[in-house]
Amino acid sequence: MEQSSSRCFPVSHKKLSLDIKVMASQIGSMGTILHARKEEGMSIDPTYSVSVILGKRDEPMLMACGRQLIQHISSSRSPKPLVLSLGLKDHSLETLKAIVSTVVENRLW
Amino acid sequence: MAEGDVRSTHNPEIVSCDDNNEDGVQINCFTEDLESYTLHFQIIRLQKQIFVWIGCNSAKFGHLYAAAPFALRKSQNSMVSVASILGGASDNTGSSIARRLVLKTGLNIVLACNIPKNSPMLEADAEKILIQKLRSLGYARPKSEGSPVPLSKVESRT
Repeated sequence: MEQSSSRCFPVSHKKLSLDIKVMASQIGSMGTILHARKEEGMSIDPTYSVSVILGKRDEPMLMACGRQLIQHISSSRSPKPLVLSLGLKDHSLETLKAIVSTVVENRLW
Repeated sequence: MAEGDVRSTHNPEIVSCDDNNEDGVQINCFTEDLESYTLHFQIIRLQKQIFVWIGCNSAKFGHLYAAAPFALRKSQNSMVSVASILGGASDNTGSSIARRLVLKTGLNIVLACNIPKNSPMLEADAEKILIQKLRSLGYARPKSEGSPVPLSKVESRT
């Protein structure tokens, strides 16, 4: 499985970025693009909004991947919105789990 | 805007980096200091698509546009359709850059840019710098070819 994330970013302090972008591609293009963020709310339990903004809208695993990642991101002190693009040949549970664990291992937040 | 007003930075903390790995993904990042703004660029070249991020003074993701070539009939020159998929200022800052990138490269383009709205000169500068860089990387056609990429070339690339 190929995965690309920004290895060298022109702005010297990555932690100052206001958004997080993750890209995983097997098919030579960005594939489906999702947007996820934690909703501001008064309740104790956090709520998240995950939506497909371009691409496959009938793959629940992609939404689940976005949901898992935004939850990891939101556990940090200053949660940021996530733009996630997944161009995958297979949408199996194992692949998505591997993506989530790889991104969390290489976290920048 | 004269050519001399654009200066490349070679600050060791903010460097131009070219990252080629064996997966066929090429990532290029660089920064340009203009007189009153700093522009950051990140170009990710996938097999069938190019992702470009343009940052103005900050690392904010900004508005996201997707643009692709199409033609109603094979005999026609390719046209370009652009969609705003995230954010989007009232004047669609960045959509014209995305459109022209498709015309010059013939590939699908996804462009994220946080250039403030109502800054046509800044937009034009960013586009000029970006096109120069894409030409030097070989993703865009050289200046001598003025017309849009014909459909047959677009089909063979996508």
